Amino acid sequence: MAMIVLVFNMSLFAQDGYVLSGTVLDGANMPIPGVNVLVANSTTGTATDFDGNFQLKVKRGDVIKLSYIGYITQSISITGQETISVVLAEDASQLEEVVVVGYGSQKKSDITGSVSSVKSEDLNAFPLANAEQALQGRAAGVVVQSNNGGEPGAPISIKVRGNTSIGANSSPLIVVDGFVGATMPQANDIESMEVLKDASATAIYGSRGSGGVVLVTTKKGKNGRLSVELNTSYSLQSTSNRLDLLDADEFAAYQQSFRAYEQGMADTDWQDLIYQTGTTANHQFSFSGGSENINFYASANYFKQDGIVVNSDFEKLTFLSNVDAQVTKKLKLGMNLFGSRSTKNGVLTQSTGENANGGGDDVISLAFRFTPDRGIYNADGTFTQNSVGDGIENPWAVANELINETKSDNFRTNLYANYDILDNLSFKTTFGYSTLNETLGQFKPQTFQLSIGYASLENRRRTNLLSENYLTYNAKIGKGNLTMLAGYSYQKQSTVFFGALTQELLSDDFLFYNLGAGQLQSRRVESSFSEWEIQSQFGRLNYDFDDKYLLTATVRRDGASNFAENEKYAIFPSGALGWKISNEEFLKDNETISNLKLRASYGVTGNQAISPYQSLSQLSITPSTDVNTDPSVSVAQEANPDLKWESSYQTNLGLDLGLFSNRISLSLDYYNIDTKDLLLETAVSPAYSGAVDLEVYSNVGEINNKGFEISLSTKNIYNDNFSWTTDFNWAANRNKAVKLNNGDIIDGAAPGYFSSGKDTYIIREGEAIGLFWGHDYQGVYQGGDLPAGTALKESYNQAGDPLFIDVNSDGIINTDDLKTIGDPNQDFTFGITNNFSYKNLDLNIFFQGAVGGEILNLTNVQLYNGDSNALTDIQNAWTPTNTDTSIPSAKIRDREISSRFIEDGSYIRLKNVALGYNFPSDVVEKLGVDNLRLSVSGQNLLTFTKYSGLDPEVSYFGSGGGSTGSSNVVQGHDFGNYPTIRSINFSLNLKF
Amino acid sequence: MKTYKYLFLLIGLSIVGCSDLEESPITEISPESYFSSLSLEQVEGFTSGAYAHMVHRNFMSREMTQALMYRSDMMAIGRTGAQERIDMDNFTVQADNALIAGGSNTYWPKVYQIIGAANEAIKAGKLLEEEDEAVLNEVIARARFARAFAYFHLVRQFGDIPYLGDETLLSDAVLAPRTPAAEVYENIIADLKFAKEWLPNTQVSRALPAKSAASAYLADVYLTLEEYQLAYTEAKEIIDNEGLYNLGLEPDFQSLFNSDKSDISIEPIFVLHFTGTADGDQGLDYQAAFTGIRSDGQYTNANGEPVGGGWSVEVPSLAVYTTWDANDYRRTVTFDDKALQNGVLRSYETFTDGDGTAVNRPHVAKYTRMGNGTSTGTNFRGSKSNYYMMRYAEVLMIGAEAANELGIAADAEAWVNRVMARSRAGGIITGGINDGTVIAPSAIPADFSGLDQDSFRTRILEERRLEFAYEMKRWYDIARRKLGATAFGPNGLESVVSTESGVGPGPKSFDPSRDYLLPIPISEILINPNLTQNPGY
Repeated sequence: MAMIVLVFNMSLFAQDGYVLSGTVLDGANMPIPGVNVLVANSTTGTATDFDGNFQLKVKRGDVIKLSYIGYITQSISITGQETISVVLAEDASQLEEVVVVGYGSQKKSDITGSVSSVKSEDLNAFPLANAEQALQGRAAGVVVQSNNGGEPGAPISIKVRGNTSIGANSSPLIVVDGFVGATMPQANDIESMEVLKDASATAIYGSRGSGGVVLVTTKKGKNGRLSVELNTSYSLQSTSNRLDLLDADEFAAYQQSFRAYEQGMADTDWQDLIYQTGTTANHQFSFSGGSENINFYASANYFKQDGIVVNSDFEKLTFLSNVDAQVTKKLKLGMNLFGSRSTKNGVLTQSTGENANGGGDDVISLAFRFTPDRGIYNADGTFTQNSVGDGIENPWAVANELINETKSDNFRTNLYANYDILDNLSFKTTFGYSTLNETLGQFKPQTFQLSIGYASLENRRRTNLLSENYLTYNAKIGKGNLTMLAGYSYQKQSTVFFGALTQELLSDDFLFYNLGAGQLQSRRVESSFSEWEIQSQFGRLNYDFDDKYLLTATVRRDGASNFAENEKYAIFPSGALGWKISNEEFLKDNETISNLKLRASYGVTGNQAISPYQSLSQLSITPSTDVNTDPSVSVAQEANPDLKWESSYQTNLGLDLGLFSNRISLSLDYYNIDTKDLLLETAVSPAYSGAVDLEVYSNVGEINNKGFEISLSTKNIYNDNFSWTTDFNWAANRNKAVKLNNGDIIDGAAPGYFSSGKDTYIIREGEAIGLFWGHDYQGVYQGGDLPAGTALKESYNQAGDPLFIDVNSDGIINTDDLKTIGDPNQDFTFGITNNFSYKNLDLNIFFQGAVGGEILNLTNVQLYNGDSNALTDIQNAWTPTNTDTSIPSAKIRDREISSRFIEDGSYIRLKNVALGYNFPSDVVEKLGVDNLRLSVSGQNLLTFTKYSGLDPEVSYFGSGGGSTGSSNVVQGHDFGNYPTIRSINFSLNLKF
Repeated sequence: MKTYKYLFLLIGLSIVGCSDLEESPITEISPESYFSSLSLEQVEGFTSGAYAHMVHRNFMSREMTQALMYRSDMMAIGRTGAQERIDMDNFTVQADNALIAGGSNTYWPKVYQIIGAANEAIKAGKLLEEEDEAVLNEVIARARFARAFAYFHLVRQFGDIPYLGDETLLSDAVLAPRTPAAEVYENIIADLKFAKEWLPNTQVSRALPAKSAASAYLADVYLTLEEYQLAYTEAKEIIDNEGLYNLGLEPDFQSLFNSDKSDISIEPIFVLHFTGTADGDQGLDYQAAFTGIRSDGQYTNANGEPVGGGWSVEVPSLAVYTTWDANDYRRTVTFDDKALQNGVLRSYETFTDGDGTAVNRPHVAKYTRMGNGTSTGTNFRGSKSNYYMMRYAEVLMIGAEAANELGIAADAEAWVNRVMARSRAGGIITGGINDGTVIAPSAIPADFSGLDQDSFRTRILEERRLEFAYEMKRWYDIARRKLGATAFGPNGLESVVSTESGVGPGPKSFDPSRDYLLPIPISEILINPNLTQNPGY
């Protein structure tokens, strides 16, 4: 802190002298904005404005240094001149983009693996609640999705190159400034994000590399200028879509068409009641700067979102500070500090049916299914309940009366020291600590008819300790360039959990802050502790010969505590070759081809993302009954001493091509990933073994992912006033279950209360992962003879009932007639960004889409079930007089998983349009600021899709059937998602 | 500054732990640590584990009860049309029925968890050599009783089943074929005999088996196997020693369905005792919720507030009520034909006017009255009910039925008529809108007198149906006496279609060659292909 104050002092009270005015131009006489102008050996400095102009207080004898990325730094002695004009020459070696890789960085042209890079400009094209979202549609082969539509504070899932796992977490490893497994900083604080995709790039992270690695670099202070920046934005949000449901009269008529039903007095549009206009405010304040010896960056960020569903909001306060100090010529020290506090007020969405009183505890699915002829309250002031089907509270009550609050405190610090032992040998050691303290409070008042009140408070504290130590060695051997890295790493994570709950509190006013006021018998406490360690040795060798031939070899040996006795350690090697053909004599002077490189890599990475203690045999404790006051014990699970890592064997072939001085640059990548020893929590023993936890982790088989990725960037028009650039990326992935030791895996992700037909997907040898599983719908039975190959269910065998394919031709539809009925895997995904700039105006248009993935519309399964409100389509249901329809007759049937509810989920979406304006320098000067930018943008303004549900970007995982309930295998299910939002956003950026 | 200072700093920073990566969980308990200091306490722990599983939702609280209720002719679907229930009711069950296979709310695994914990207890008990034999064997006897009790349910429902004893190796069991039912019964009988030998004459709670519980279950097993002499002998021994075992009939039939009174009654022999405390679905009772009338405010919770009714999920067909003599006190105790919905008193014909999700038929009152005034959860859940697994009236009737088969008419009549007499005596209704109503003695049900063997048999099965209505006995009677063709035929109690709720009673697809047994869950056959399936599935 003292250092920072010092820096302030020095810049504010610079020495006497006079003001020098200058202009900085490039070789084409175009002004260069943002050039650092610094008085040597001082901290006095400034930067050029948009017109390349600067003013700086100097005195005779000073030397000023002008520096800018991609240009050769120039020093100019001050001899009393009042104005200067400087032309900076381009630096061919620096022009090259530098890309962060594991434990180091490399010139982009020297990369032999597959790495996608997203820079700060793209990150901030529009305001983001989560920085992860910036990767969507911008990095080929990286699929990014909110886990719950537009919910404030919803987690974001990232998938790199398909599903390399079915039962273990295969999210990419997030590494922030070298801290492995860190939480993502705010988008405004990020300088760049690199996604490492192939084994050559990820194998240095060994057992955690198979899901890909996202390397995040936060902003650092720049030499010589104190910059204070203020970003503020405000958005208005609304639902992007609504369902067309029956009103009260239509609903009563529908019910009366098949049973006695007395219409209620009200006419309520429940969607109207639970939706509102949402708002988002985001304010960021940062200051940064530095001298030759010390750089700093510090920022504070405040984000607040009121969701589009009543009573859902998210608030987050984030602080970040980076300090780097060159203590001596050889020693550099630095520290990153990150702290955040967030509060999420959630409404219940994405019902699993587990928590439901007879079903339906989430406001979204409730708003769809709840009867429209009931109001919010009964005459006696109590909340209404559904008039058909299971007794459920009304959605307004659920949205407003329940409290579901998560408070998270996140703190992380990482200290590093880098010491240059020799000119070409350095040692870096980092020591980091992070803690996540999360408190979840849940409260249900006694005003619910189905509730006597419930309150619980849970706390989870997770700490991480990380130490990494590595040597880096560089050598020039003839025409060759050798870089070697060797290191050791240790990480430990501990989690302490405790929670308490009670029911029937003395007063609803206590919320969850006085659990002692609950009824004695219903009080429950629990606590747990778990710990996990990983220790590793790693090394890398990069050799580049004559800037033409590139070799990368990495190896990591990991040992992790959460693996079984016999399988604690594993080695993950990789190798890659690159050939810069464009540097060969025959292409060196080619005017068209400015860059051509071939890349090939092969390597092994792992996945050990399972909780601790999974391989041990365990007993379970059951709470006491009154007769036996001591807790009772039974067998929980059997040991698996051979439980081991999932290993992914990945081949990558790539080509980079640059044409016309890289105005067109193209990257093509093909990959093939064989993942073996798949981890899956599955029933290995039959239920009659008597174990309480029948599903235990074991290694069950192999899957394969292969795919193709294209990234294309073009500078279409590039002149003084107008520029137009296009970035396009496209990726296709095909996956397949190669081997399943225990045969088909059939499981379900429908809400628990769907009861029969809960199974919704299958994993089967030779097929893609997670195909939909159900009956094949063949339209409505018209009575009389059955159409060939079809049959009816035993319980629904009247005219008007649904016909299905009779798979085993036994004349009856039952579970023997289930088959694959759809494929949720997308054929390809793509993103296309166009950036236009004209003078001070800039325009960003970003489309993103996916083609080919099918969706299982579980919402419709519920809405056509009879015991629920329905879509207006039900008015076209089969009747003896309306036989030409595909909708079976109105009546109560089981919730049927069938091809009737499978839809094409292809879409293309205008993800963002943003128009920005940078005020001209003469205007901003008058205002006393360096830069002023206003922008307006719109997100999700247009979506083109045939999908009939709310939104084709679905992410319902449901009850997941217990074991395989993860985004890896539960794909394309739609039920009770928080709706995707459409927003209009206004932003202001101010720089001093 | 000198370079070595920085080197020193670097070394300081880079000091890191070196670990053997061994896992030593604190929260989870491992068998090694549990058995490392083996004592009677560990055997007790597993034994308690077996009994704790019996009060989980997946056993008699809800899932297995549904199968037994719906498959009988006494219970029909109420309002909710969950397919696994409809299939149980209509005999259209398949091997993946959600009550037995797959998912988390299935009872087949839960019954085996009772067995698994009991096996661990027995195994642990055998390792304890120094312990006092009587003390140790009493604990093991409780475990063996639990194991027999669990297998007796399974063998009656599924026939040949995988039998795992305390010495069975899991590695063998996962590949073993089904054990023939006869062998399962032999093991059950061995367990019950051991239990009878070592259990005390009385226990502090009827939720713990005493000698009479083992004996009564032996009688029940023999009756099921049509070993009438053995059944008679077991029953007679209990009846002759009713004082020693502290058994007798509760004078007022209603008192059995009042948790305050049933807790101190001497009629129960073995109960599942819910205590009003639940951890999730562990210890949570559902029958009052399942059988109660929607929006019925006549019963109260632990705080004396209206409990808000049940779910009208299990609602008998109307014929059960209308064919039951109105002067039989047991009908008055068994049914609620009136409800207090939102303050309005309604008769069953108009229940749906009070709540559209109710059903216009009389609802079962045994569980709602038992839960009255005790529940801490919603819809009666978290009550202090006792679910009767075996009560003394059943011992009397098992004895009578066996005696009749053996031609010992005197004992047969004497024993069954004690039960008949208790019903005729009437009593005082407790709980609900009829609380305190005195029901005068009546002539119904008449004593058994001078019936020939066949007529006696027919009548006693009918009386069992009424006496133990909704106590999960009827399906087993239908199955052991092969009454299905009549019970589910055109004149069966459920034959009249009731479509008011869209689902409900109506004609059944009962197939005697298939439906006396349930299918082995498909999920088990997938893991152990050596398991065969029951005929017809």
